[in-house]
Amino acid sequence: MQVRNIALLGHKDHGKSTLIGRLLMQTGAATRVRIREAQEYSKRLGRGFEPAFILDSFTEERLNEMTYDTTRAEIKHRGMALAFIDVPGHEELIKNMISGASYGEVAVLLVSAKPDEGIRGQTKRHLFVARMLGIDRLIVAVNKMDTVNYDEERFRAIERGLRRFISAIGFDKRNVAFVPISAYDGENTVKRSARMRWYGGKPLVEMIYESAKKATPKATGMLRIAVQGTLPGGLVAGKIVSGSVRAGEMVAILPKGAAVKVRSITVNGAVVKVGNAGNNVALALAGTLPKEMRGTIISGISSRPIVTDRIRLRVFVTGAFGRAMSVKFNGIDIPCRKVRVLRVIDTTTGALRPGPPRLLDAVEADITLSRKVPVEGYAITPELGRFVLYNKGMFAGIGIIEPG
Amino acid sequence: MIEQDLKPLEEKSIYVIREAKLKFKNVAALWSMGKDSTTMLALTRKAFLGKIPFPVIHIDNGIDFPETYAFREWLSKKWNFKVIVGRSEIKPDPMGSACCGRNKPETLKKLLEEYGFDALIVSIRRDEHGIRAKERYMSPRDRDFRWDYKNQPAELWDDYASKLDAKEHMRVHPLLDWNEIDVWRYIKREHIPVNPLYFSRNGFRYRSLGCTHCTVALKSNAKNVDDIIRELRTTRQEERSGRSMDKEHEAAMERLRALGYM
Repeated sequence: MQVRNIALLGHKDHGKSTLIGRLLMQTGAATRVRIREAQEYSKRLGRGFEPAFILDSFTEERLNEMTYDTTRAEIKHRGMALAFIDVPGHEELIKNMISGASYGEVAVLLVSAKPDEGIRGQTKRHLFVARMLGIDRLIVAVNKMDTVNYDEERFRAIERGLRRFISAIGFDKRNVAFVPISAYDGENTVKRSARMRWYGGKPLVEMIYESAKKATPKATGMLRIAVQGTLPGGLVAGKIVSGSVRAGEMVAILPKGAAVKVRSITVNGAVVKVGNAGNNVALALAGTLPKEMRGTIISGISSRPIVTDRIRLRVFVTGAFGRAMSVKFNGIDIPCRKVRVLRVIDTTTGALRPGPPRLLDAVEADITLSRKVPVEGYAITPELGRFVLYNKGMFAGIGIIEPG
Repeated sequence: MIEQDLKPLEEKSIYVIREAKLKFKNVAALWSMGKDSTTMLALTRKAFLGKIPFPVIHIDNGIDFPETYAFREWLSKKWNFKVIVGRSEIKPDPMGSACCGRNKPETLKKLLEEYGFDALIVSIRRDEHGIRAKERYMSPRDRDFRWDYKNQPAELWDDYASKLDAKEHMRVHPLLDWNEIDVWRYIKREHIPVNPLYFSRNGFRYRSLGCTHCTVALKSNAKNVDDIIRELRTTRQEERSGRSMDKEHEAAMERLRALGYM
């Protein structure tokens, strides 16, 4: 069964874990033992049943009613496995949110309709991060409709409040949908709700399914192998991130650009004539190889990515941003030589902001690396256009190369 | 139980296993002779062209099933890999069970120090348990095996944690995304040998294997891999319901994992 990854987004307490817990129950994916365990724990804490406890398994998560770290749970719908990635909504746990969301193909944003909740800081920030990570399909689930008597006007107000921001950060509005739900009561999650007849659309799971069906990974067709290193015995191990490689053809090893011949290709233990995108290959190469293969990129001779030490990145800042940073690229650490900040964006509004970048801002920066790397726009070949930033070993941000 | 496409699961696992070998200096894998860690070894052979290029550790309290010991001897010869046996004591343990609770990680700790392993491949899966679902593909543990689960390193795209201080070791989880039924479907597809205890005898079989003290057989007539797959498609029982140690107590599992239980 095909698996599609669905990232849950949204401000803390707007109902991400509750929604997944409810969906697991309504679709029969949660075992009886798991449900009973969550029920008993809810009772022990003197509370009504908390569907979120099916996911939030740490004691602290339950006592404090918050998700600390990302997790994944699957449901089955119409022959497709939807793997929901739960993430924490708390600002200080954004590193865990990014870790989860980076695997998402479709995003579901939770916004609480409750009068004192609504559109909040992390609502927009999570959208910003998701878009940056390349997620281009979005479903906004306006949650807790039970707290506003399933009032259509409240739903429309939240929709109006978000539409412009969603378009401004680059979502195509044809790929965005709004659905009113109550995760706690299970209204309009799996079945259409009798309490919201004014909503003419399909229930949430159906919307997610349709969005996931359209989210097909694209391949450029140009050969790119991200090399992991040399195996004991001398074969070169790597993952084909796009295109395909044929036995007998000449390829280039970047950044240096040495041309070598592919003598043989092994995929999952079997010798093959052609290796395709997604395959982890072991290659026998004829020619002079670089001493250190880890971190190199193998491409076709005539369709090489750009090799440069100067990159323009869009960065989401999660730590100390500055010159002392290094980037992690394709498995290797590369110190930054120069960092020049061009623009700083407040990710809760999308507006430019003067001054040095702060935690959770987005930054556009020109960075000079201490060595050359083969790069491409993130939208063209994600693996060649994405960087993880560290500052003295601490996670400092994620950066992508935007086209142009 | 959801059956996922095996191909992407296989590719991801091979990637992670290779990453462990190529990123760290001194890797070992844990092997319980159960279906998951045996599948991990089969994937390792695919990743390294038929070889298992690191030692395989069995933490042995001396009271595993005879079939389990026989399987260990047979497969390690057949596939030609090195097994390190760490002898674990059976003694009272206030946090878990005397046989497999806290005493096994204590033995493992000594082994890691003795051999200087800096990465350990462990075949846990998310669908086994809510706590295991919170794991990363690569996750550091300190010298006391503590899992700092409230502050796990970021892990996005294919960038796994690497900064290690000398006292830490990395846990590597290549099977994290697999479901129980996927493991059995893969065993079938690849003809991977498994411990005979998984198959029904006199109406009972073991679904999850620990030692003789803490594992009970469950009612089942599944006599071969096909039967097991069929059984899993309809069962409502938990995989680890025959394991007295964790008994689905989230808090118990959390304590065990924080203490370095595998």
